[in-house]
Amino acid sequence: MSRYGSSGVRAAVAVEDRLFRALAVLRVITLLNAIVINVYKRDDLVHPWGGVAILAGMSVWTGFVTWAYTDAVRRSIPMLLADAGVALAALLLTPLVKGADFDATVPGFWVMAALLAWAVRFRQWGGLGAAVVIVGADLWLRAEITQTNIGNAYLLLIGGPIVGFLCGSLQEMAVERDAAQQSAAAAAERARLARVVHDGVLQVLALVQRRGTELGGDAAQLGQLAGEQEKRLRTLIRSQDALRDQVESGVVDLADALARLRDRTGVDVAVPGGSVDLPAATATEVVAVVEACLDNVGRHVGEGAPAWVLLESFADRVEVSVRDDGPGIPEGRLAEASAQGRLGVLESIQGRIRDLGGTAELTTGSFGTEWEFSVPR
Amino acid sequence: MTDVGTDQPEPIRVMVVDDHPMWRDAVERDLQAAGFDVVAVAADGDQALARFPAARPQVVVLDLQIPGPNGVEVTKSVLQTDPGARVLILSASGEQDDVLEAVKAGATGYLVKSASGAELLDAVRRVARGDSVFTPGLAGLVLGEFRRLSEPAGDTSITGNPELTERETEVLKMVAKGMSYKQIAERLVLSHRTVQNHVQNTLRKLQMHNRVELTRYAIERGLDSDDED
Repeated sequence: MSRYGSSGVRAAVAVEDRLFRALAVLRVITLLNAIVINVYKRDDLVHPWGGVAILAGMSVWTGFVTWAYTDAVRRSIPMLLADAGVALAALLLTPLVKGADFDATVPGFWVMAALLAWAVRFRQWGGLGAAVVIVGADLWLRAEITQTNIGNAYLLLIGGPIVGFLCGSLQEMAVERDAAQQSAAAAAERARLARVVHDGVLQVLALVQRRGTELGGDAAQLGQLAGEQEKRLRTLIRSQDALRDQVESGVVDLADALARLRDRTGVDVAVPGGSVDLPAATATEVVAVVEACLDNVGRHVGEGAPAWVLLESFADRVEVSVRDDGPGIPEGRLAEASAQGRLGVLESIQGRIRDLGGTAELTTGSFGTEWEFSVPR
Repeated sequence: MTDVGTDQPEPIRVMVVDDHPMWRDAVERDLQAAGFDVVAVAADGDQALARFPAARPQVVVLDLQIPGPNGVEVTKSVLQTDPGARVLILSASGEQDDVLEAVKAGATGYLVKSASGAELLDAVRRVARGDSVFTPGLAGLVLGEFRRLSEPAGDTSITGNPELTERETEVLKMVAKGMSYKQIAERLVLSHRTVQNHVQNTLRKLQMHNRVELTRYAIERGLDSDDED
């Protein structure tokens, strides 16, 4: 089990612990079953006191081995060999107390517990090996092998390896889960530390920007650079958070994705608090459309011209508006474009929103241009 | 505020709370240069709360990300001590949810730290006068909060959820879209003052709702413990 590393070993042992606890319950139940059946069919016993002795031995061993298996250190090969040995002994003593042509062995289903201990501890090969030995002994003892005996033997031979295989799979999954949890915790801690550092950097950049602008000249240029870096860093922080969430859920927080557009010069974005989760494809398309609108602002109003994006979230839809303070779109330009057979930017914007099942509305005039989109959730 | 020489108004008393010494000094210097009276500065929440009662500032310029009790808690405590004081939030990293919480707790102004010195001075003056200082971002948050509260999915037995009038929603939405009060007034054919009032009403309703919620919570807790006695 050394291939897991120390925390992996812990996870694997935890799985084994749990399975051995379940096995302890099974062992007690099969013991009670054996006692009840032997008492009920006491007439089959040639030597009743011999039967009592075997059952007493089984009870003592059940108590001892249940205690022994509670600690992983004691689940050693000698202990498991002893466990199998006791089960075999109980089987082999059966003809002595029941006569050669017995029907059911004294331990009955109780031998299954030792078999499963091997399966849990040594996986499918342990389960198979123990099953072959115990089933072999059982069949070898019998003077006459019935259909039922064959059926039971068959079940044990299949059950041992299967339980072993499942135990192995559970351990592997536990180890993987453990590793995933650890890396998630480490990532969260890294993010927290980064946030502390980033906050300080943001403060300084904001200060440089402000002071620089006030001082003018070269300092103003420095200030502008600081301002750009501040925006970029803020965007980076947000996008890291968003990426983590997206990987986990397959949905995209539209509020977050739109807020990242603040990175563009002149663009201000207003979003509601919390997240506005949409299927990744829808959110990505909405952001792309908004970007197309902003590109349009840059082209027609001027590079870096102020523009505002507003996101509103409702139970059944989201509404996004993109506004600028420009001169508006001259009347007839839309019609002119489509008359010339050109699929204008405006039409493409409308088409993309329609494809999402939403509506797009354009208001334009001397006060500026405003797109309003409504997209169903 | 008139500037008749003989009738000089008292300078506005301001307290600056920021854990970043460079920032704190810069803001303090700007305010003093503009004729404000900086009555106290503090580097964390504990200091702010300790110095507030004696300094009695009219306006607290408050960074949200401070050690000790954070900006939201400081806003709450300060306004409990002196409901007449005004809180102007300055935020560097734009932690949206914290801004909304601070506004619910009673802050009436919000500015990002990258705003210019002139913008800051103007904001302090307006907040001191009792106006609300909104950025489009803050308007978007407040609008979102009212949308959320009006969702039918919520507890229908709660009838006290605040609602904005159609006009208030319209105005708030325009603020969130980056329009100035002047532009809104022109567009809706209203006076500048009326637009201002609509905006302030939205904040007032949100803060009132927050207080009602807190009181309801307190009463529920209180009644529960009475039952046990």
